[in-house]
Amino acid sequence: MKFAAVRPVSRVLARELAVTALLLLGVSAVVFAILYLAPGDPLNVLLEGQSPRSELALGMREALGVPRTWYGQYAAWFGKMLQGNFGNSIRTGLPVLPELARVGVNTLYLTLGSLVLTLLIAVPIAVHTAAHGDTAGNTAATIGAYILSAVPVFWFGYIVVYVFIHKFGMFPLISGTATKQAQAWLYFLVPIFVLGTASGTLSEVIRHLREELSRVLAEDYIRTARAKGAPVWRHAFKEGFLIPVTEIVSAKIPFLLGGAVIVEQVFNWPGMGRMAWQAAQDRDYPVIMGIALVAAAFVRLGNLLQRVVFTAVNPRASKE
Amino acid sequence: MRSYVQGPASVGESSQLPLWRRAETIDLVYVGYGLLVVALVLASYLLGALGWLPHDPQAMNVGLINAAPFTPGHLLGTDFLGRDLQARLILGIQAYFLPGLLAITISVVAGSVLGILAGYRGGWSDTIITYFDNLLDSFPRLVLILLVIASFKPDIYYVMVVVGITGMPVIANLIAGKIAFLRQTNFIEAAHALGLPAHTVILKHILWFNCRAALVIQATLGMAEAILVETSLSYLGFGVQEPTPSWGNMVQAGANYFLQGNFWPSTAPALAILATILGFQLLGDGLNNLLEGKRGK
Repeated sequence: MKFAAVRPVSRVLARELAVTALLLLGVSAVVFAILYLAPGDPLNVLLEGQSPRSELALGMREALGVPRTWYGQYAAWFGKMLQGNFGNSIRTGLPVLPELARVGVNTLYLTLGSLVLTLLIAVPIAVHTAAHGDTAGNTAATIGAYILSAVPVFWFGYIVVYVFIHKFGMFPLISGTATKQAQAWLYFLVPIFVLGTASGTLSEVIRHLREELSRVLAEDYIRTARAKGAPVWRHAFKEGFLIPVTEIVSAKIPFLLGGAVIVEQVFNWPGMGRMAWQAAQDRDYPVIMGIALVAAAFVRLGNLLQRVVFTAVNPRASKE
Repeated sequence: MRSYVQGPASVGESSQLPLWRRAETIDLVYVGYGLLVVALVLASYLLGALGWLPHDPQAMNVGLINAAPFTPGHLLGTDFLGRDLQARLILGIQAYFLPGLLAITISVVAGSVLGILAGYRGGWSDTIITYFDNLLDSFPRLVLILLVIASFKPDIYYVMVVVGITGMPVIANLIAGKIAFLRQTNFIEAAHALGLPAHTVILKHILWFNCRAALVIQATLGMAEAILVETSLSYLGFGVQEPTPSWGNMVQAGANYFLQGNFWPSTAPALAILATILGFQLLGDGLNNLLEGKRGK
């Protein structure tokens, strides 16, 4: 990175950080609004059999320090959240944030691993198609990726489990409870393989990279580079590869996190997705709120990184 | 920031050849397969709605469980209670068809309104809508749905409202980008110069003349998303409940017999999901390449 590019990046970074903070504020407002609009009042549980509108309920609210207005409630909730207090799980009674940190690591492994796998498959196909046009092999690979992306991930999970049990004699295929330590890494890799191939991101990564790369390869400056015998790939790398890849990866993070919910369910993977499923079953809303907030924070973080890369590579962006 | 890349198709619009002659074979194959799937889904939906099924979908036959396809009397075999799979597959379309249409309607209508506000009005409304789009894009859709399920109730129509709302940003961006593109070509200026009122320019000249193909494409892709969400939720146990069939809960119920080697009861609905989602996606992409000329070349 040249030094000339450093100053605009820091300025843009400051702006992007501000935008991210604003968006996270909005995220918390959306989550709060859903809970606020939802029917039912947690106080009803405490005051079972008594009218929630009674003097007793009001007294209870005063005693528990529940603000009466919605903005009071939001401010109180938001203030606690800033201190890292996301409330306690209704089912287990444990504080939400440490629990999320504990299982979130597993989801991070799963999603990052599958992202790497998706890129390992998608990038060669996309680059080859962009460089060589639609050959028969390319078309077949693209159609294959389409089909793989439309495969229901839950069914594909069972297929993989079956193959592993019957071909490789691995059982039980439940992550974390592997008895044979020698094969523990395989138990770890199977869910990553399933999410990485069948989550629906594969074909979109291929399509986006192929379109962008072939657009860039048709630009005048690439023709100039080619004419003077300069390495084309080095010229096309930033605009035709780095930017589209970071763009599509950051755009697909929410899909990967959503796919993780299902894959974790299939493989009993002790991650955030499984926790979200359990929380939705139990209507354990402090937990699912926490998961929604953490997931949205991940998405925003990925987006922030993408913007940083974009600005670093393309200093013109800072003038927009 | 908004951009809309007009493909080469519009440049060659003066070409006298009909669309299917100018098109690439592979796109015609995509669209053909997609239309076939749409026709099958539509016909099956009507059959299910009228109750014209080859079998009673709830009738159990304990003597004939997990039967293979082409068993006499059961073309596609039976499930773990000996219920006819073909009838249940047809009836399973009821689970997503109308909810999916609801989701598409929400995202197309509301997304168009937002896109017009952002692209046509510009200025502050553009900034606010961009913020709103980014906000909606921050949530993994399934997590947001689970949040709504946990706080409201597991109802497919609530879920599809969420799917519709989270589908708005794509359409809003598309329309706003299209309007920005039309402005560059002085199309909108020209329409105003004719003395046309704003609503005519927006509804007729922008939406109808220039965005209808893109909206149909997005609606098609939206149906694929809706099917994916519905089947995933039924699989997770939040959608349609047994004994009412949905492709998702059929995969889930059949999966209990999967490891014993009885693949079919779980694979049949999975293949139905695969073929249908693929059909809607290929239809969308094929139409995109044909009508908007977006093949990456």
